[in-house]
Amino acid sequence: MSAGAGGGAARFALAMAWRETRAGWRHVATVLVCVALGVAALVAVGSLSIDLQQTLAREAKTMLGGDVEVRASRLTPPAVVTAVESLRAGGAAVARTRELVGMARTEGGGSLLVEVKAVDAAYPLYGSVDSVPARRIGDLVGGNGAVVEERLLARLGLRPGDRFALGAATLVVRGVVTREPDRPASLVNLGPRVLVSHASLDRTGLIAFGSRVRERWLLRLPDGIAPAEARATLAAAIDDPSVRIAAYDEAQPGLKRFLEQLGMYLGLVGLVSLLVGGVGVAASVATFMRRRRPTIAVLKCLGVDAPTLFATYVAQTALIGLAGSIVGVVLGTALLPALVAATREIVPFAVDGGVDPLTIARGLVMGVTITLLCALWPLLRVRDVRPAEVLRQDVAPGRFVDQPVEVVLPITLGLSALALWQAGSWKIGGIFIGASLAALVLLVLLARGVVWLARALPRRGALAWRHGVGGLMRPGGQVAGVIVALGAGVMLLEAVALLEASLGARLDHERRRETPSFFFVDVQSDQREAFARVVHEAGGVTPRVTPVVRARLAAIRDEPVTRAMVDRRRGRQGEQPFFLVREYMLTSAAAAPDGNRLITGRWWTDAEASARPRVSLEEDMAKFLAVGVGDTIAFDVQGLRVDAEVMSVRHVDWQSFTTNFFAILSQGSLDGAPTMWVATARVPPAIEARVQDAVASRFPNVTAVAVRDVLERVSGLLGQMAFAIRTIAAFSIGAGLVVMIAALTATRAQRLYESVILRTLGATRGVVARAFAVEYACLGAVAGVGGTALASALAWIVLELLLDTPWLLAPLPLAAGVAATIVVSVAVGFLATWRLLGQKPLPVLRRE
Amino acid sequence: MAPGMIHVRDVVMRLTSGGRVVTVLDGVSFDVARGECVAVTGPSGSGKSTLLGLVAGLDAPTSGTVLVDDVDLGALDEDALARFRRDRVGVVFQSYHLIPTLTAVENVMIPLELAGVTDARARAERLLDEVGLGARGHHYPVQLSGGEQQRVALARAVSRAPGLLLADEPTGNLDSETGAAIIDLLLALNRERGSTLLLVTHDPALAAHADRQIALRDGRIVEPIPA
Repeated sequence: MSAGAGGGAARFALAMAWRETRAGWRHVATVLVCVALGVAALVAVGSLSIDLQQTLAREAKTMLGGDVEVRASRLTPPAVVTAVESLRAGGAAVARTRELVGMARTEGGGSLLVEVKAVDAAYPLYGSVDSVPARRIGDLVGGNGAVVEERLLARLGLRPGDRFALGAATLVVRGVVTREPDRPASLVNLGPRVLVSHASLDRTGLIAFGSRVRERWLLRLPDGIAPAEARATLAAAIDDPSVRIAAYDEAQPGLKRFLEQLGMYLGLVGLVSLLVGGVGVAASVATFMRRRRPTIAVLKCLGVDAPTLFATYVAQTALIGLAGSIVGVVLGTALLPALVAATREIVPFAVDGGVDPLTIARGLVMGVTITLLCALWPLLRVRDVRPAEVLRQDVAPGRFVDQPVEVVLPITLGLSALALWQAGSWKIGGIFIGASLAALVLLVLLARGVVWLARALPRRGALAWRHGVGGLMRPGGQVAGVIVALGAGVMLLEAVALLEASLGARLDHERRRETPSFFFVDVQSDQREAFARVVHEAGGVTPRVTPVVRARLAAIRDEPVTRAMVDRRRGRQGEQPFFLVREYMLTSAAAAPDGNRLITGRWWTDAEASARPRVSLEEDMAKFLAVGVGDTIAFDVQGLRVDAEVMSVRHVDWQSFTTNFFAILSQGSLDGAPTMWVATARVPPAIEARVQDAVASRFPNVTAVAVRDVLERVSGLLGQMAFAIRTIAAFSIGAGLVVMIAALTATRAQRLYESVILRTLGATRGVVARAFAVEYACLGAVAGVGGTALASALAWIVLELLLDTPWLLAPLPLAAGVAATIVVSVAVGFLATWRLLGQKPLPVLRRE
Repeated sequence: MAPGMIHVRDVVMRLTSGGRVVTVLDGVSFDVARGECVAVTGPSGSGKSTLLGLVAGLDAPTSGTVLVDDVDLGALDEDALARFRRDRVGVVFQSYHLIPTLTAVENVMIPLELAGVTDARARAERLLDEVGLGARGHHYPVQLSGGEQQRVALARAVSRAPGLLLADEPTGNLDSETGAAIIDLLLALNRERGSTLLLVTHDPALAAHADRQIALRDGRIVEPIPA
C-alpha cells in the first residue's frame, strides 16, 4: 500500500504538473519567453565562439601560409637561408614573401599608403588567393604586374590596366584581390594590399632605405617531418631570437586569445540576459504560486503532502524551463548568421555558422538550471499553505518560516557555479559574480527606497499623481523585480552606449586637438631639409622631425637575449614576448618629451649623458623586463651594441597620436648609428591630400600615415564590436520588458478594481490613464537611473582599468538612457493594461 | 483507547482575529462510534466548522486531544496529517472547493491517483455515474451548477471509501430542493459504504436525518449527548 502510494505520489505529481501547466498559460508564456531570450543569447554567442575557434584551428595552416613559418624583420640572417634550404633539400616546398608599407602614386599626383607584399611562384602553399580575373597569382604579378585591393582603385581613381608608381617602379594593375589566405590578423590595416613579384619589389628600391621589411619563409613539409620537429631543427640552426619560427598549430596565439576573450565577454553579456530572465521566472512563479494558494489548500485537504506538491510544481517549472530552453536554442541558432556577419570585419577569416551540439546542450542545462534555481524560493512556499485555509481566510502562516540563509545560499551558490562555468575562468567569473551581486543590491535598494518614499512622502498634487505613486505600493506589485530586471538590461545597453561615447569622444578629441595629421616614416638624413621645405610649401607648416634608430634588445642586466630566454618568457597561450623580440625605434633626447610622466627616477643631466649612455623606459616595458632605475640594458643598434643605465621609468599615453617611444636614450648615445627621421605635421583637413601627394611624388621612399584614416578605421571597428555586444544586450532588455509585463498582469485584477472604483466616483478614463502613466514612468525612471548609474560604473571600469582610456562624463547618452527607459516603460505598461480602461464598472463591481 | 471512530477530549481552540484573541472552542469533548451518523448543529460562529477542521486534521487545537480512527492527530506533522486524510478521511465543503483548473473527472481522480490506483480515470467516471453526472465528467467546475459541483465534490470525497466522511454545511450554498437531493445522495453513499459521517449544519431539518445531534453554542456543547 505505502509503496503503491509512493509510486502514486510520483505519478500524481507528474500528472498534476501537466494539468497545472495547462491551467496557467500566462505564467507558462512568461517563464517560457524569459528563459528563451536568455538561452537564445547564450546559444548564439556560444556557437559563434566555437565557430570562430574551430575555423581558426581548421584554417591554421592557411592563415599561417604553411606548416611552418620563419619570419624575420629587417635583414634576414644568412642562417635562415641555410636552414630553410636544407629543409627544401629534404623535400619541403618553400614560398617566400616580403612585406612592407609604402606609398602608391598615380600619374595625376594622387597618393595612398599601401601594404605591399611580394610573392613568388610557389605562393600560396595552402589555400588560394581569390582574385578577379581568377588566375594564378604568380601569373598576374609577372613582369610589372600588380594585384590590388578594390579600395586602392577607388581611392586613387584607377581601373584595371592602369599604371601606378611604387618607389622607383611603375606597376600595372592586372587584377583585384578579394581574399588573401594569410593576411596578418591585425584589426586595423594601414592601407590596401598591393601584391607584386619579388623582382618588382626590388625595382621599387624601397628595401634599400632600411624600411621595415618583413620577410617570411613558408614551408610545406613532406610526409615524415612533423611541424614541431621542423620547428625545433630551425630553432637550433637560427639563434637570433628576433627571428620568429612558428608551426601552424602554435601560430596566431594573440588572435586565438582575442577570439576567446571576445567569446567570453559576449557570453557573460548573454548570461546577464538569462539572469534577467531568471528574475522574470522568480516573479512569475511567485505570482503563480500566490494564485494557486486555494488549490494547494484544497489538495492538502484531500491528502496531498507538501513534498508531493513541491515535486508537482518543480516538475512543472522544469517542464516550462526545458520548453523555453528549446525555443531559445532555436532562436539563438536563427540569430547566429547575423552575428557571424557582424564579425566579418573583426575576424580575418570566413566563419561558417555551424551549430555546436555541446553549446546547445549547455544552453539547455543553463536554461533549466537557472529556471529551477530562480523558482526555488517561491516554490518552497507550497509548505506555507495550510489546509485550514479552505475553512477560513485568516489562517496564520505555516511552519515554514523564511530562513533566508538556508534558501538564498544554495541559490547564490548555484548561480555562481553557472557564472563560473560560463566564464571559464575563476577571476573573470568571480568579478562577474561580484559585479552582479553589487548591481542586484543597488537595484533592490533603489526599489525599496522608492516604495519607502511613496509611502513616506505626503500625498499632494493631482489625483492622477497621487494614485500613480500609490500604485507603487500595491501588494504583489513586484516593484523590486521589475526594477532589477529592467535596470540590468538598461545597464548593459547603456554601458555599450557610454563606451562608444567615451571612445568616440576620445577619437574625436584626437581629431580636433593638436594631433598631427600625418606621421612620415623613413625620411632619410639627406632628405631632411628638402622634405621640410616640401611640407612647408604644400601645407604651410614646418614638420617636427625626430631622429630614430632601429634596434633590438640585446641583453638585460648583462644576460643576453637568446632564443632560450624568449621561449621561457612566452605567454600562457604561446604569445611572443613582445618586449624581447620587437624591433625598437630608439631616439635620444636631452629632456623628457611633453606628455610623458616620470614614475621613478629622474632625467639625466648633461654631465651624466656625456659620461655614458643612459636610458628612460616606458613603464610596461620596465615591468616586463623586470628592470628598474640603476639596472643596465643593452640594445643591438644594427650591429653596434649600446649598453645603457636605466635612469627613469615613464608613463606614456599611447592613445595620444604623437610620436612615443618605449626607450629614450641620453643625447649622444646613438651618434654614428644609421639614423632615420620620423616627422609629424598638422595641416588643415582640406589640404591633407595635397601635402601627402606632394611628399609622395617628391620622396617615393617616405611613407605617410594619415592619422584621420586610421582613426576612421578604428571608429568603424568599434562600431562593429558595439553592434555585436548590443545585439546580445538587447536580449536582456527584452527579458526585462517581459518581466515588467508579467508584473503588471500579476496585479491586473487589483488595477481593474481600483480603476473601476475611481471611475464610479467620477474620474474620467483620462485620469485613470494618467495615474497608470505616473506609475509606469516612476518604475521606468528608477530602473533608468539605477541602470544608468551601474552602466557608468561599468564603463568606468572598462575604460580606466581595461582600456587605459579616461572616462568622460557623457551627459547626452546618460539622459537619453533614462528618458528612453521611461518612454518604453510607459509604452509597454499601457500595452499590458490599456484594455482595463475600457471595462464597464458595474460587472466588475458585481463580481467583487 | 476508545473503540470509537472519533474521540475528542477537552478541546480548546483560540484564534487571533484582528488582533483580538477569540475562543472558538472552549473545552469540547465527545465521541462518535464507528458507522454512526452525527450532526453538529448550532448558529453561525458557534465553532462547528472549526471543530470539523480539527477532526479532519486541517488545524491543531490550542489544547486538548483529537483521536480519529485510533490515531492521535496531535502527534502527526503536517505531511503525516495529509497522508492520514488521503487514506482515511473524505471531506465535503459548503463551497465545494473543486479545483477550478481541473475537469470534474480529474477532480474525482485526485485521491485515487494519490493512492496509486491504476485505473483512476475509469473509477472516477463510474463514481460520477453514481452521483448522476456520468455525461459531464469533462466539464470544468465553472460549467457546472452548484448542485452538480457538490455532487462532484461528494464523488471525490467517497472515491477511496474512507472510514470517515466529514461534511461542512454541504447544502449551505444550494436551494432547498437541490440541497435535499444532495443530502439524500450523501446519506445513501455513506450507508452503502458503511462509513462514519460527521455532518456540520445549522439546518434542523437536515440534522434530523442523523442518528444523533451535538449542539454547539459559543464554543461549548449545550445539550446533553444522548447515549
